[in-house]
Amino acid sequence: MPRKNPARERPQRRKTTHHHGEPADAFRCVGCRLDVPMIAPGTAHRNHCPHCLTSLHVDHRIPGDRRAGCRGRMAALSVTVRPDGEWLIIHHCQSCGELSANRIAGDDNALALLRIAMRPLSDSRLPVNALLAL
Amino acid sequence: MAANGKPRSIVNTETFPCVRCGLTVTATAPDGSRRNHCPSCLHSQHVLDRVEGGPSECRSRMIPISIAVLRTGDWMIIHRCTRCGELTSNPICGDDNQLILMRMAVRPLAQPPFPLEAFGDL
Ligand SMILES: [Zn+2]
Ligand SMILES: [Zn+2]
Ligand SMILES: [Zn+2]
Ligand SMILES: [Zn+2]
Repeated sequence: MPRKNPARERPQRRKTTHHHGEPADAFRCVGCRLDVPMIAPGTAHRNHCPHCLTSLHVDHRIPGDRRAGCRGRMAALSVTVRPDGEWLIIHHCQSCGELSANRIAGDDNALALLRIAMRPLSDSRLPVNALLAL
Repeated sequence: MAANGKPRSIVNTETFPCVRCGLTVTATAPDGSRRNHCPSCLHSQHVLDRVEGGPSECRSRMIPISIAVLRTGDWMIIHRCTRCGELTSNPICGDDNQLILMRMAVRPLAQPPFPLEAFGDL
């Protein structure tokens, strides 16, 4: 796939180690320290760790955005489903509070995704009456 | 509006029309908190600029897309603006439509990107 915006393809800290003079196509996750390859199945670029789903706040979507250099840790807050059925992770920056929605990748940790999706349903304050009405 | 953002003890009769369903909504919820979305359809309007902290020029409709549960156990509604794509998160109110809240909560599990059978009982 052509690179439309190289900045968005480096969501986390790029490793500075080089092999054969080429920059390493991997980053170290700011959440779990896993070394993650940039190439992800099913998406043009990776924007979060496939193991713990953590991301890094480096989006330059808004030119001149004063938070563009935030580099805060973005935790997976919840999931949502697009009209076409695809899951998105809602990430929440722990430094500046920014929210972003990101497509899941083919090798994302299914159990971690499921735990986030289950959060509202495992709440003890669940509105049971509403659930029974479904 | 209370200047310090805290709920007022006096009765606030301010209302706004819902941009989606047209319901006349009281700006103050029964618990005294300030509403930002319609309790019936849960839609909102993009009226606050998150970056500048003041009013937004956008004023477009915001769709509820997700329920987030905070560490405190509080439920938040994630809204996405239909025009500019901005995402916001706001606490639910006591009289928010529980059927829509629950539908939003179960929707991802009704359309899983992987077979749920593999996980057995969670
Ligand atoms: Zn990680
Ligand atoms: Zn940030
Ligand atoms: Zn409404
Ligand atoms: Zn907007």
